[in-house]
Amino acid sequence: MSNVAMELVNVKKSIGKKEIIKGLSFSIQKGEVFGFIGPNGAGKTTTIRMMVGLMKLTDGDVKILGNSIKSNYKEAVREVGAIVENPEMYPFMSGWQNLMHYSRMIPGISKGRVKEVISLVGLEKVIKEKVGRYSLGMRQRLGIAQALLHNPSILILDEPTNGLDPAGIREIREYIRKIAKEQQVAVIISSHLLAEIEQVCDRIGIIKNGEMISIQSVKDQEELEQESLSQVQLEVTPINHAMNLLKEKYEIDAEVNDQSISFEYNKADIPKLIQFLVSEEIDIYQVEISKVTLEDKFFDLIGENVIG
Amino acid sequence: MVKFIKLLINEQLKIYIRKSTWAMYIILAILIIGFAALTNTFEDTNKYTEDNWRQELQNENEALLNENKEFQEDTGAEDDDFYISFNMDTIEKNNYYLENDIQPLQYGAWQFTMDNRGLLSVVSLLTIIIAAGIVASEYRWGTIKLLLIRPISRNLVLLSKYISVLLFAFFTLVFVFLFSLIVGTVFFGFEGIDPHFVTEKNEGFAYISVISEIFSGYGYSLVNLVMMATFAFMISSVFRNSTLAIGIAIFLMMAGNSIVSFFGDREWAKYILFANTDLKQYADGNTPWIEGMTMGFSITVLLVYYIIFMALTWVFFTKRDVAGQ
Repeated sequence: MSNVAMELVNVKKSIGKKEIIKGLSFSIQKGEVFGFIGPNGAGKTTTIRMMVGLMKLTDGDVKILGNSIKSNYKEAVREVGAIVENPEMYPFMSGWQNLMHYSRMIPGISKGRVKEVISLVGLEKVIKEKVGRYSLGMRQRLGIAQALLHNPSILILDEPTNGLDPAGIREIREYIRKIAKEQQVAVIISSHLLAEIEQVCDRIGIIKNGEMISIQSVKDQEELEQESLSQVQLEVTPINHAMNLLKEKYEIDAEVNDQSISFEYNKADIPKLIQFLVSEEIDIYQVEISKVTLEDKFFDLIGENVIG
Repeated sequence: MVKFIKLLINEQLKIYIRKSTWAMYIILAILIIGFAALTNTFEDTNKYTEDNWRQELQNENEALLNENKEFQEDTGAEDDDFYISFNMDTIEKNNYYLENDIQPLQYGAWQFTMDNRGLLSVVSLLTIIIAAGIVASEYRWGTIKLLLIRPISRNLVLLSKYISVLLFAFFTLVFVFLFSLIVGTVFFGFEGIDPHFVTEKNEGFAYISVISEIFSGYGYSLVNLVMMATFAFMISSVFRNSTLAIGIAIFLMMAGNSIVSFFGDREWAKYILFANTDLKQYADGNTPWIEGMTMGFSITVLLVYYIIFMALTWVFFTKRDVAGQ
């Protein structure tokens, strides 16, 4: 058997005449944590709804362990556990009753398994209380418990860190890593905040306007940064002279911002560059070097504050 | 099948775990006890004894005749006036007892249960509320998403919900029946295993079993109940809004008769749902609302409506995308 847990093949969705998802194709491996990033309105939730069969595909197919969500719905969805948007539960029932409710919908879930899942997410103490009294973090955990009941091969979490405090976010992150590693579960996490899930993901797909504009491996990214270019910002006078010198000697096209100039350059070679500028009697007030992070790339790709 | 029963358990649990459902049953219980107390206070339920029942009936007849005479003198009403003919009916019924030498039945639990068939409209109301909420609430809570991502077809989920509504109606009906019997026994005593009484039937007065009257009375009311519950269920699935479903269904239930009489002279009036929900119009010597209607005609019209309701419910629930609110 192949290692592919879920595969999207040219998935399209139109509502009315508007094409919301414009042909997504990617696959997720077993045991991999895949981050699904995009600004609000990019089509993340729509894609997730299609992955679990809540919305019909206009075109293309979603295959879960080889089973098509279109033609083999039950077999396909059997392998999926998901939270779609908020972890909404029946507020008038206790956590235990909620879990039992869902456990009755899939054959082969024992009471023992329900208890196991409860302790996995650490809800033992409040499981008999009504969900209406739960905090958002507790409901988020109950949502994860619900998604894990039937030992799915794929766990889909839509905005799992929404409304959580930093400690809660960290806990969920650790938890996701754990189940991906130990149980070889493929995890798909969507978020509009890259920083929150960057550390937990193996790969990150960036979606904008219904198109996958980039898929990057996080590990590669870190390695790249070791030798890659850094963003250099220099506060110097006179600016024009400095610019000319850099152009002549190093062929750098720097940008001017107010009193400073900025450009990309190899970190290791920066001291030499500074020495050169000093020797040419340029006054340097400040040198700032920052790494080009994934976040910057993300903004580069999607554009800041642009929705839709 | 096991899967389906588990779905039913889920749906029943979600109905009965909520306090609002229990409030419904408490209201029904209070109504039943209230009726019993009222009947006990304002009616002499123990007047026909072994020795004096003949005398008692004759006295009653004389009193009724006097009443009619006075009423006609006071108002100049004709012989076919409603009030007059009502009294005349009672006199005829009393005469039937006398002629056939049947001692009228003491009022008791069975007759109280029979009189409570009017409560079935309350049961209809409660069933409408449940039917209106059972799909729409899942959307309102957002739980529909978690419900539909299980390896179970939407058809089965919807069917379990519809059957659950009917089960709720059935349980509530049984509750009204049993609780009326118990309260009736406490207030008026128990008439025996199979008591009989005299009532007007197709072929005039007849001496028949109270229990069979209870079943036919409850049975006829069930038609309206099921139709309105199915209607509310449809609105609930199509518009995903329980308030709308409750509102429209209860309004139509209340206004149904007025709608029919308003359009009564039109050719198509007999095709209106509410002209057909009361199948009792064909029994017990009643005349149908609109000339030319028969039991078979009404059943056909009801079936057509039922199929339309069900088809709309199913198409909307199973084919539609579950999108955000």
